[in-house]
Parts: sequence; C-alpha cells; structure tokens
Amino acid sequence: MSHPSITDTSGLDLAAIRKQFPILSEKVHDRPLVFLDSAASAQKPDAVINAMVHTMHHQYANIHRGLYWLSERATEAYEAVRDQVAGFLNAPSREEIVFTGNSTEAINLVAYSFGSLLTPGQAVVISEMEHHANLVPWQMLRDRMGIELRIAPITDAGDLDMDAFSQLLSDGKVALVAITHMSNVLGTITPARQIADMAHAAGALVLFDGSQAVVHHRTDVQALGADFYTFTGHKLYGPTGIGVLWARRALLEDMPPFMGGGDMISTVTFEKSTWANVPHKFEAGTPAIVEAIGLGAAIEWVEKFGFDAIAAHEQALTSYALQRLATVPGLNVVGHPKERGGVISFTMADVHPHDIATLLDRNGIAVRAGHHCAEPLMRRLGLTATARASFGIYTVQEEIDALADTLVRIREFFV
Amino acid sequence: MIQTVPDSDALYDRVIVERARAPQYAGKLEAPSVQGEGKNPMCGDKTRVDIALNATHIQSVRHTTRGCAICAAAADLMAQQVSGLDVAQAVSLSGRFSAMLVGEASPAGAADTSLGPLEVFKPLRSHKARIRCAELPWIALKEALSHADV
Repeated sequence: MSHPSITDTSGLDLAAIRKQFPILSEKVHDRPLVFLDSAASAQKPDAVINAMVHTMHHQYANIHRGLYWLSERATEAYEAVRDQVAGFLNAPSREEIVFTGNSTEAINLVAYSFGSLLTPGQAVVISEMEHHANLVPWQMLRDRMGIELRIAPITDAGDLDMDAFSQLLSDGKVALVAITHMSNVLGTITPARQIADMAHAAGALVLFDGSQAVVHHRTDVQALGADFYTFTGHKLYGPTGIGVLWARRALLEDMPPFMGGGDMISTVTFEKSTWANVPHKFEAGTPAIVEAIGLGAAIEWVEKFGFDAIAAHEQALTSYALQRLATVPGLNVVGHPKERGGVISFTMADVHPHDIATLLDRNGIAVRAGHHCAEPLMRRLGLTATARASFGIYTVQEEIDALADTLVRIREFFV
Repeated sequence: MIQTVPDSDALYDRVIVERARAPQYAGKLEAPSVQGEGKNPMCGDKTRVDIALNATHIQSVRHTTRGCAICAAAADLMAQQVSGLDVAQAVSLSGRFSAMLVGEASPAGAADTSLGPLEVFKPLRSHKARIRCAELPWIALKEALSHADV
C-alpha cells in the first residue's frame, strides 16, 4: 500500500499540510504510518522543528541575565512567545502568561499556590471525566489542607450532569471548580461558559484544563469566563517540556510562589527574599527556552490555517469515523456526548484493547490503548481499558478507512 | 486496502488466540493451599492464581484472568506447565521464562533450556511493551509460592 491519497473536503490543503510533517512519510513494519494518537501527543511540522534548530544554531543563550547580544536575542525570542500566547488565548495581559513544563505542572502550580490560600471547610469540585493530571493534585491538596474534594458526575452519554453539578455548588463552600475543557477519553467538549457562570454565581473560581481543547477550537479565556486556563505545547504541534498557565492577574498577584530559585526573585539576602513581579514570580530557574520558541512557532503555524477551518476538518473527520466504526462488527464507541472533538474511544467484543493496539500497530496504525490516565473514569464506565483513535489537522479520511478495515480483520482473527 | 492482519513475528500464534478464547485451567480451587495476584496498573489487567500443594509439589493450578489475549494465554499455559513441578522447579521455570522474553541466555545452572509450549511467547522480544502482559500470571504464581511453607 502506498501512503494515503487525500480526500479533501475541508478547504484545507491536506496534502500540503501532510508534507510539512516529515514523520508522516515514514513506514512502520513496512507499512505507511497511520498516526491516530494525536490526543496523546501531536506530530511536529517543519516550522516547529526548524525554529528550534535555528535557535540552537544561531541565537541560543540563557535568558534574562546575559549582558551580551546572544542572550538579548534569546530573551527577545522567548518573551515574544509570551505575547503570542496572550494573543492565542485572548488574555488581557502578557503578564498573565506563566510558562510551565506542561499542563500537569500548571495545574500543580495552581493546586499548591492558590491551594495554599484555602482553608478547611472549603471545597474543590472536579468531574468524573478528569484525567489524573486534574485529579491527583487536588487529592494531594485535600490531604495537605483539609479541604473537601467533590466529584461532579457525568451522564452515561459522557456529558457533565449539570443538575448534579449545580447541587455540588449549592452550599457556597466551593472555592474552585477545576474541569477539563475537552475529555481525552470521551472527546466531550464541556460547556465551559455555563460552568463558569454557575461557579461564579456560587462564589467559586474556575480552572479549565485546556490541553485537548486548544488544539481543536479557538480559545478565548475572557469569553469563557475562565479564572485559570492550562494547556501544553506538545499536543498543539509544539515540543514537549513547555506548557502554559494563564490566570487573572489579581489571582497571580495574590498567590505565593510555587518554586523558589533564580529568576523568580526581586531581592535576596540570607535573611529574606522578595519576589519578582508576575509572571516571573512563577518561573524559577532557567526555563525551557528552545521549547518556548518552538511553541511560538507552533502557534504561528496553527493560526495560519485558522481555527474555523481546523474545527470544520476535524468535525467532518470525526463524523466520518463514527460512521465507519459503526460498521465494524462488535465495536462499541464509548460515550456519545452532545459536543465532541476529534477523539473516539472504543472497545470491541472478544478483543482486548491492548491486542487491538498491537495488531493495529502491525499494520502501521498507531492508536492508544489503556486507561488513558483516567482510571476513575474507566471505573465509572465499567471498563478497564479502551482503544482510542484521535485526530489532528493532518489526519485524512483514508486513514480512518485503514483503521476501520483493519479492525474488521482483527475481530475476524479473534472470533 | 489491507488484505490480512499481518503479524510478521507471529506474536499471536494460534495457540495464544485459542488458549485465550477457551482456557483449560481457568477458575478457582475450592481449597487452595496458596494464592497470588498480579495487577498491571498500566492497563488494569489482573490475574489471580490458586494453587493446591501436595507436600512440596504443585498438585493443581487454576487462574482467574481479566486481561488481553497474551495475558490470558500466558496464565493458562503457565498453569499447565507448572502442574506437577515442585516449588523450586516452578520458580526456576519462571526465571527461564522471563529470561526468554528479554532474550537473555537461561540463568546459570538451569538444567533444562527448553521451554516447550511457552516458547510461543518468544516473539514478545520485539514487543517490549507487551512483555509485562505475559509475565503477569508468573508474578501471581511467584507471589502464591512465596506463601508456601516448604
């Protein structure tokens, strides 16, 4: 089989886009790579790879401290990404953008720092569909600070149960609602604005874990009514090791530093130190300089296509995939949320998800299988694991066909 | 587009698929001498092993496995292969099985290098992420045998 021909219904030039991802021309087990695991980590376009290589070839130095040309260039490039991210999220101010290692670190920052301001008797609400990154930090906060952790249930279809959510807020004890903007298992896009309005009416702040969501739709933290928003670079076609916390400036001003060290200080004596202004108060130590520049390149690259076109492409692809998967004998799609992004989890009668993933891999098709770092959700769904196909800007219909056709043969092999 | 489910390394040998589908040693023992459990937190797979001991020998083995085909078949073939062995022989076989999966020579002093039907798992050497699936029942076995008073 040759590499997939391209059926293009989106208005995006998918053939041209795919050419910008060198890895998509690779073969796996002598078959063309069909990469359907973008929700775990997306592939990287030349624009990102080249920006990082260029930085290391021509303008690499440590930032914020070197009194020489190279350091100034690197500092400018790094800080320019802060402006870009602010624009990307429609944040009111560049000072509200804190660079972290990833979304997990951003959530931990909020749990430690904002969390240290909470008092016993207050509560944090998360949902049943959170992955471990937006669950474990809050459990740790609960155990450290004596706050209550409440879990908002989901419906069998995979949507947040809004009545139950409302009940959890009703006693006025909730200080923070921390919830995914898009589920990495069910694909559910949560009604963020409604969640924020309900949280605020109950006197709570709201954090959205946007790692999955920012890839698929335009993100406007002001329109969403968010107080905190987190995402990670590597799912947005950028490098690993760089993530973002956005928070309203007043919150960042009130929050104590997360980690101490260089760069986050104003003055230091052996007796006492004072903190740098936001966001530097939260960026101790030498940051991921090259990775931040790679993130900037990724944002520039994605924005060039426009999120309207990206969302239309991924929606068409997801509808097509749901139709094709419905024809595979014994296949069960997990969750049917009202609004979903390009993530489809499934199980197949008589075939374990790991066997599915291994045999798909033998055909060059990469999917995720397991509990997707969302064990409590698996338990809620009565499953131990699922297989998951997830799509990116470069995914094409022919790859969905390869998936569906191969799944049919895998089932025949096992039954 | 794709004609078969190619499996060039024959990972899913027919024996594995058939043992997973129709296990011969699945179930529980009424009065096991010892029990052990293996869990894989990465996938949620779980296997429980019941062993009846007769003095120092393994008289019978049953397993309850919730897992993939590799794990389920490994549990069934393990039960078959360790039945009748003494505890030391079973532990030694476990070591040789693990060594085979990672492509090492048999541990020094191992008298018998043939692993018989267990050799169907040899292709796992090129599927490192799945080795844990085949080892899970043996982890349960070793836990069970660690409780044996011999």
